[in-house]
Amino acid sequence: MSLLLFDTLLCGLLLALALASVLSRQLSHAVILYIAFGLLMAMAWARLAAPDLALAEAAIGAGLTGALCFTALARQGQLALSPVVSWQQRCWPALFVLVTLSGLLLALLQIPASPGPLPALVLQELAGSGVSHPVTAVLLNFRSWDTLLELLVLLLALLGTLQVAPAPVRQNSWALSRSWSQLLAPLIILLAGYVLWAGASQPGGAFQAGALLAAGAVVLKLNKQLNWLAWRNIWVRFFAVAGLGVFVIAALAAWLLQGLAAEPVWLRWPPQLAKYIILLIETFATLAIAITLTLLVVAEQPDTPLSLETQDSAGGSDD
Amino acid sequence: MTELSGSLLLFLLTAASLVAIGVYGFIIGPEPLRRILALNIISAGIFMLMVVLAYRTSGSGATELAADPVLQALVLTGLVVAVSATAFALALLARLEQSSSEMSAPLQLKQTEPEQ
Amino acid sequence: MMILLLVLPLLSALLMLLWPRIAPLLALFSAAASSLLALQLLLQVAEQGTRYWLLAGWPSGLAIAWQADTLSCLLILLSTVLQLLVGLYAFATRSRDKLSQGFWPLSTLLQLSLTALWLSRDLFNLYVCLELLGLVAVALVSLSGRKAIKPAFNYLLLSLFGSLCYLLGVVLLYGAYGLLDIAGLASQWQAGWLSNSALLLMSLGLMLKAAIWPLHAWLPAAHAAAPAPVSALLSALVVKGPLFILCLLWLQLASTSQAQAMAPLFAAAGLAALLFGGWSALRTPFAKNLVAYSTVAQLGYATLALGLMLTFDQPLIFAALWLFVLAHALAKAACFLAIGEMSATLGGKRLTILKGASQTMPLAMFAFAVAGGSLIGLPPSGGFLAKWALLQGLWLQGEQLFWPLALVFATLLSAAYVFRVVVLAFDRADPVAPDFAPQLVPQWLALLPALAVWAMALFSEPLLLLLRLEAL
Repeated sequence: MSLLLFDTLLCGLLLALALASVLSRQLSHAVILYIAFGLLMAMAWARLAAPDLALAEAAIGAGLTGALCFTALARQGQLALSPVVSWQQRCWPALFVLVTLSGLLLALLQIPASPGPLPALVLQELAGSGVSHPVTAVLLNFRSWDTLLELLVLLLALLGTLQVAPAPVRQNSWALSRSWSQLLAPLIILLAGYVLWAGASQPGGAFQAGALLAAGAVVLKLNKQLNWLAWRNIWVRFFAVAGLGVFVIAALAAWLLQGLAAEPVWLRWPPQLAKYIILLIETFATLAIAITLTLLVVAEQPDTPLSLETQDSAGGSDD
Repeated sequence: MTELSGSLLLFLLTAASLVAIGVYGFIIGPEPLRRILALNIISAGIFMLMVVLAYRTSGSGATELAADPVLQALVLTGLVVAVSATAFALALLARLEQSSSEMSAPLQLKQTEPEQ
Repeated sequence: MMILLLVLPLLSALLMLLWPRIAPLLALFSAAASSLLALQLLLQVAEQGTRYWLLAGWPSGLAIAWQADTLSCLLILLSTVLQLLVGLYAFATRSRDKLSQGFWPLSTLLQLSLTALWLSRDLFNLYVCLELLGLVAVALVSLSGRKAIKPAFNYLLLSLFGSLCYLLGVVLLYGAYGLLDIAGLASQWQAGWLSNSALLLMSLGLMLKAAIWPLHAWLPAAHAAAPAPVSALLSALVVKGPLFILCLLWLQLASTSQAQAMAPLFAAAGLAALLFGGWSALRTPFAKNLVAYSTVAQLGYATLALGLMLTFDQPLIFAALWLFVLAHALAKAACFLAIGEMSATLGGKRLTILKGASQTMPLAMFAFAVAGGSLIGLPPSGGFLAKWALLQGLWLQGEQLFWPLALVFATLLSAAYVFRVVVLAFDRADPVAPDFAPQLVPQWLALLPALAVWAMALFSEPLLLLLRLEAL
């Protein structure tokens, strides 16, 4: 009974925060409410037997998205109240949304209570996957093609962001936060390493570890440290790309290893090597994710610009 | 009709309502940044729906898994995709605001002129 | 070998990021090699039949499913060849247009994401492919710099909204059936409120991304703002990705009753797109917007064909649908490259700068006119082939008067906007003087796909055979 009470409270709060974030008159309030919403969402997921996701949501969904939105707010300068949306303008969308919602609810109520065949299948094949944590097995073995493409999405977002990145905002860092952040850094690296290692057998893994590392790096970056961490640095570029590169090269190597078979299978890891391959991919993926996420948050115009206009003003190089 | 337990039904309802709230925010806006937040609320609602559906396993006792790992992995993939897209959208927004605030007048003149 | 179609562009794109200096050459090499591989795959599949893969070798359901049928192979070949052509154009004009370094890795990644999409038969993997495609497309649009930021931003927001609608539909289906691969889902499919709403949600998202009327409003601004080679890729290929998934859903998953119920909606949307898109193309003062509105109109043919296919279940109409897509892709690439070339040389975006272009830039104008002929559907172009197949399919269904008449009207409308440009170009009284001597190579590159679309008529028999072999 008390659990149901807790659930009701949690759901009510989630809805209230989301609604308040959408309706609040001030944009900064909306962002703060959204971050609170994200943290509460992480709690809800922890309640729903998804500790992996709770970790990721707290770090990515609430933390990084929040940092991103705050950076966007900081760029906007002085904050005015939002323009008033009239009653009539609100009425029709609300009606439309309510109708859609009731349709969706009708559909959701028809969903059967028993899960499909896949969880059992995962359990059955887990032994051959090289890791004992089922979520990691799905991510890096059963459905590794998804993960590869997802790393590509992340890289692509970075390319796009670098391309349009506006001039940096000048802000001074605070002496106290600078010294605290230096203290924080080794702690975060240690924690990220643990989360990555743990991912093979229990909740954790490359994404959570990468997001943690990124969170630490963002704090340091915003305090004007880690100046080497920028796209112009060839090593940063190398490691941002290496996550995907190592993934593909490992896949190619595994593919060639089976080459003698009539029909080699793409992305199949040899069972006895699977554990090491997955660890290798995860390590590089963690670094790549951390670098990419950091650069996404503190994106600044690179010295070797990708964009059209700045090249124009530089007179246009010939290659 | 479903035979999902009370808690689960509650979470399912919440997830669907979150999607609806997000859609409403996306339509109403009015600022672009709030539209991005609304998109994130929609995706949070969808991910929550996935997490709830993944949780169905533990109730049935069919397997010894705590939850459906496939759906959880999909949520993880979706989260990273969502944050990437949000970051790119915010970068575009920042650039948009920068160029519209700093050089609105000369820019508009220039736009109608030929490029080269 | 087929896996190189994906690995090659991916590795080249990564290398391009590390060494931007070699990017153009690497991109061209990867596109050329991929084209050869795609051709080889097409021949192999045409000969030996459809190929299936379960990635990573896990049992069906757990693994992501791939399928290479003749349609997928044709589309892969189309993407790689257009990629090569557009790459050559961008290379030929690189010193003039100052297209930024970002173009090379991004366009290579575009080719990769399209190939991944044509192959995939897994609903969630298709979602990731869609997101990938959307992000690449937006990043490519934003290459134009300042003036493209707003269209790019709107494009991104709507594209994300569309992806989320699609994802919600996928989640509903997973909740109901616990499966993600299309073949598995199709075998257990039950018509009902749950599957109805999932299909509707996914279609809404896909129609938004494919710019199918009435969800097309973002397209003209975004496609017109992009640099010429990018517009060519976007119009020719990117909008076809969601259309492909839409066809997969309605032809493979939906039950007959569901398909029958949805068919009139698709047909009506297609017709409306033909009329409104054509009308807007007739009215716009800007050259690139005209071509972009023409994309909206031409997508109407494909939507119309999808609607008629769902109504009549006639293989010829299915072939017509994809012939439209192929012919439009080639013709539109030619149009955008030709218009881009003329705008750059004659200096301006308005349609009026094309005055007398048949004299100052005959080759580019010829390319536009030839491609326009296929958009209208003049025999014996690819556009004609598609329309002919559609009419033939309708004919086989017996007394059909409304749809052939509608097609004739739409044809007149597209003829009107193509001739609007051509007439202006032949007005030689006071031609707009070029800013500099017109370059020949880019004009020839614009002409190539236009000629290819007319050459489609020569291969009409094998093309029809390939597209009729099996409905996906």
